[in-house]
Amino acid sequence: MTTTATLAPVSLELRTGPRHWWAGFRSMITWHLVSLRLWLVLLAVVQVLSGVGFVLGFGLFFEQIPLSVALFVSTGVPVVNLVMTGMVLGPQLVADQKASHSFDFIHSLPVPHTASAAAWYVVCLIGGLPAVAVSLAVAVWRYDGLPLAVTPDVAPALLLTAFTGTMVGLAVAHAITSPMVTRLVTQVLVFAMFAFTPILFPVEQMPAWLGAVNSALPLRHMADMVRASLTDLPFENLATSYAVVGAWGLVCAVLAVRALGRRR
Amino acid sequence: MPTDTAMAFHAEGVTKVYADGLRANDALDLRIAPGEVFGLLGPNGAGKSTLVKQIIGLLKPTEGTLRIGEHDLVAHPEIARQLCSYLPQAQMPIDSFKAAEAIELTGRIRGGDRATVRARTDALLEALDITQWRDELGMKLSGGVKRLVGFAMATVLPGRLVILDEPTNDVDPLRRRLLWEQVRRLGDEGCAVMLVTHNVLEAEKSVDRLAVIMDGKIVAEGTPSALKAADRGQLRLQVMLSPGVETPESPEWVRHPVRVGNNLVATIDEDAASAGIDWAVGLMGQGTAEEYALGATTLEDVYIRLTGHASANGEDEA
Repeated sequence: MTTTATLAPVSLELRTGPRHWWAGFRSMITWHLVSLRLWLVLLAVVQVLSGVGFVLGFGLFFEQIPLSVALFVSTGVPVVNLVMTGMVLGPQLVADQKASHSFDFIHSLPVPHTASAAAWYVVCLIGGLPAVAVSLAVAVWRYDGLPLAVTPDVAPALLLTAFTGTMVGLAVAHAITSPMVTRLVTQVLVFAMFAFTPILFPVEQMPAWLGAVNSALPLRHMADMVRASLTDLPFENLATSYAVVGAWGLVCAVLAVRALGRRR
Repeated sequence: MPTDTAMAFHAEGVTKVYADGLRANDALDLRIAPGEVFGLLGPNGAGKSTLVKQIIGLLKPTEGTLRIGEHDLVAHPEIARQLCSYLPQAQMPIDSFKAAEAIELTGRIRGGDRATVRARTDALLEALDITQWRDELGMKLSGGVKRLVGFAMATVLPGRLVILDEPTNDVDPLRRRLLWEQVRRLGDEGCAVMLVTHNVLEAEKSVDRLAVIMDGKIVAEGTPSALKAADRGQLRLQVMLSPGVETPESPEWVRHPVRVGNNLVATIDEDAASAGIDWAVGLMGQGTAEEYALGATTLEDVYIRLTGHASANGEDEA
């Protein structure tokens, strides 16, 4: 057959600066979304089902669930929805890429590491936000008189929660070189998130020492931030919660980007 | 051939010692000029992948420098990722991508504008004769077609150095020829091409120069003809052994015998041709061999002599 390929347009100029960053960021969002295309619907369904499952399932513990409990659970579920993709799915995807050696190609693409991390954050938001909306809608439908009060703070609370969850996941994904260890760590994270962090139950019900441990970790503070933004409940030290979650997010972002660029 | 030698690839004294003490690369020196297709040959574990991973910034050399022109790839891995394009030995992660979509998106990520990337994608699909699969998801593609899509992804907007790791794996013979045409065109356009392989016969037909790497060191470098020159006056004796027989003991004048499956391959002097035939016929008479062939030496014989390994021309690798 006749070869008709146009001559190869060899890259001559080095690309730097904000335009290069922005182009890489946009392209990587597309790359990640297309990579997940086959599973995006399934991911959304699982996210919605898990959120709705918590909202409805906790009601089964009670003959007549107190509205305060329903409100607590319903306003904790968004945190689960928002961090699940970034903190659990993300590291497992990277572990799969490393195990199949396809990570080398992705790593060889000329995209700034910060742009790549930011793109993944956007994808995690896309994966989590619809489930948050559906879970809250189901809660309102299921629990008559649920005193939800959505405030403008919901935007920074949800965005920061998803950011820190994603960055923790990226740090785990890239700081740990063994795919098997990464998978084990994410399993432990899921278990710890549901069993030992005060997201769906009050911190007062935990042993004091475990409550103190959680005060230094981000999940409890994420729950406080999100809950405060969705209710009229009074919260003390909300600024501390934002500071702790923000600090975790920043530190993990730095760790993740450094780990992405680390050469053994 | 372009003569933009200012953008040549240089590796000087590249040494990589892993934390466990393994010396994977030992003072490697290489130069690949723009327009040159350079083969890097060696058995598994020889140090080829370690060198490639240092070039694209996955590993850091313990010592030595890697440069394209004046750009220091070790100090600036972000520049390395722009100046190098890479086809890994593993299949590309494109199960969810349509073939054309994967190529176009890679071109966009590499900084190409939409129109250029689309035109180049169409041209590559046609040149590699895979247009019929352009809208097929990666998960539905055969291994060979997926490999060709990977090649197109790596070369849609090629860098100054194009690294191709076993590009023809799983590809059918007809499309292999089409792929090699495209590799040649990359060189014509001014790319330096590093072809990493242990398929010696294929490399012999495709590369301008090559290096054989063994235990982290370059044990030979030059054009295929120059490397074969040392074997001038030699013949290749190939004996197809009967299935299940032990490898027969070779006379002293049968050099570098290597068994791959039921094939026993060795070299002999031209003036020992008659003795070689007699020996092979004798093996056939004993039922040890089924047939034999005597011919000119190939690059593979050089490779066997240098590494003690047979190459992977569709057979097992020693």
